[in-house]
Amino acid sequence: MASTRALCRLATSRTAAVRPAVFARGFASVSDTKARDPISKAGEALAPDASRAPIPESKTSTVKEAAPTKDAKMKTFHIYRWNPDEPTSKPKMQSYELDLNKTGPMMLDALIRIKNEIDPTLTFRRSCREGICGSCAMNIDGVNTLACLCRIPTEEKKESRIYPLPHMYIVKDLVPDMTIFYKQYRSVKPYLQRSTPAPDGREYRQTKEDRKKLDGLYECILCACCSTSCPSYWWNQEEYLGPAVLLQSYRWIADSRDEKRAERQDALNNSMSLYRCHTILNCSRTCPKGLNPALAIAEIKKSMAFT
Amino acid sequence: MASVMRPGLLRQSFASPAASQRVFSTFTSSAARQSSPLIQQLRPAFARDAVPKATRIAAFHATQRQQILPPLPQKIEGSVNTAVPVPNPDYSHGSYHWSFERLLAAGLVPLTVAPFAAGTLNPLTDSILCALLVLHSHIGFESCIIDYFPEKRIPKLRVAAHWALRIATVGLGVALYSFETNDVGITELVARLWHA
Amino acid sequence: MASQRVFQLGLRRAAAPSFMIQPAGRMVQRRLANTISKESGEEILAKQRLHRPVSPHLSIYKPQITWYASGLNRVTAVILSGGLYIFGIAYLAAPTLGWHLESQSLVAAVAAWPLWAKATAKFTVAMPFFFHCVNGLRHLAWDVGVGFKNATVVRTGWTVVAATFALSAYYSFFH
Repeated sequence: MASTRALCRLATSRTAAVRPAVFARGFASVSDTKARDPISKAGEALAPDASRAPIPESKTSTVKEAAPTKDAKMKTFHIYRWNPDEPTSKPKMQSYELDLNKTGPMMLDALIRIKNEIDPTLTFRRSCREGICGSCAMNIDGVNTLACLCRIPTEEKKESRIYPLPHMYIVKDLVPDMTIFYKQYRSVKPYLQRSTPAPDGREYRQTKEDRKKLDGLYECILCACCSTSCPSYWWNQEEYLGPAVLLQSYRWIADSRDEKRAERQDALNNSMSLYRCHTILNCSRTCPKGLNPALAIAEIKKSMAFT
Repeated sequence: MASVMRPGLLRQSFASPAASQRVFSTFTSSAARQSSPLIQQLRPAFARDAVPKATRIAAFHATQRQQILPPLPQKIEGSVNTAVPVPNPDYSHGSYHWSFERLLAAGLVPLTVAPFAAGTLNPLTDSILCALLVLHSHIGFESCIIDYFPEKRIPKLRVAAHWALRIATVGLGVALYSFETNDVGITELVARLWHA
Repeated sequence: MASQRVFQLGLRRAAAPSFMIQPAGRMVQRRLANTISKESGEEILAKQRLHRPVSPHLSIYKPQITWYASGLNRVTAVILSGGLYIFGIAYLAAPTLGWHLESQSLVAAVAAWPLWAKATAKFTVAMPFFFHCVNGLRHLAWDVGVGFKNATVVRTGWTVVAATFALSAYYSFFH
């Protein structure tokens, strides 16, 4: 077939570097039985240390923008990279230089421009670009925030550093694995629980004052910036629920229409789920939507204190 | 693929295979690349060298210093669509513990301010201060043990730490009682040392 | 790329009216495609998870009064309580070990120190003590639900630091 011939032509020694042996089905190897094993099988024999620190930017290359103009405002971005196709490799900091005159104002614009024009392998989550979906949550210049809401500081001398959300397992580059976060959210039963129907058989009503109590709680977009900024969550991720999930738990505890308040409080009444919070207050400081998880947690503790 | 829209990009990166590998790879130093066993297996069979056994181990212990309790490899309990298990309510380690802790701390405030205001304390108030201080310290250390000694990873060490703390607290209680009765008491001691 | 070529070949074949549509593209693609069952897919994912690194945390998070003050609260607590525990155990063990830790001997020993040593020792003890006490007041305020706005947290945090220095200096050098 012509297509197979094309494939064979691609399989020259020039492209051998980027084409692993496991895809080289056209090349039979009598002696090498491991050639056709999937990559994961080679990697799984050697389980690397999960906490391996990234290789700093002083030891990695800088990728510059192609064809800079004369009055370009070049700024350097150091971005955390890790490739799951080389599973035992160390994460590293890759540097990119961008012309700010050609880039949009937000960090997400810089990331998209890097992916489009300089390095298409850079991987990150993004969706709404307006700070409402929570996909682009990452650690920018040491602070957890949404990349689409974080302005690029215009001073060229300052080099920006972009890391994924802290102390999360990394799927690739800036993409953290959010599985445990969602499992914890599910565990607080974030839906209205009632055993009795409404008094007049129609909607479940609440007064304006009761509705006002939910302000500052319902707006959470579950971006996980707060939970991943909490040192208690870093050390006890499996058992401590974290500020985001606790904020949502309070959203249902404080809802006057919900009838399972006592059960929700009982679910938190143990040494780990709620009480690993030591009011460190990184969460409220970092929330990109201006919410206050620390206050919600304090209100939960107060509501459970002498009951 | 971005390279479909921009064939120039693909051509540029394929122009020098070393450059493309450097950009797309997370391996950095060429020495590590040549000797790492994994990258050897990823090369086509005809381009492979014999892998020296000595480099097998060296390539993967790249951490500079030992970490205390580094995070384990990721393991999800159950499926991604099930909730984390909700523990049974345990009021004595939950809300009662928290309330007691705060009452203790609140009670310590006037007892700590008093010696600064009044110079020193009479033995009764001093004893109450000592007792509250011992309890406050014990609860504080317990909190540190619960935070930093995860039960799932080092259960025996955690139990040992808790018992060592309990013994030390009892020892401290006895010591302060003895100091209070046979000696001057801690507020008086601090005052005397301060103006020695 | 190969898929483009295959698509072009398929188009050429479809354009010729007398030809049947040859499943050339599909055949090539099926060679590269794999059918994985749900269980083996989950196994592959579980194995991939074992290799994932953990993103950096302490080393990269921006120093802020929030977590620095909280960390310092715990460190000063351990220093103060640890010191108290060590003194208590030592006091109990002193007769056996031949040490003299009753107030008389301690006061006499300290009285013999030069002035700079006394002042330094007082300052070194006063700093953690006052920091923990004043930050403790801040903590108690949070426990009743007061002082959670970001601006308030920053302001009270730096006030605690200033008060610590002021009180320690006063009681170490001027009292």
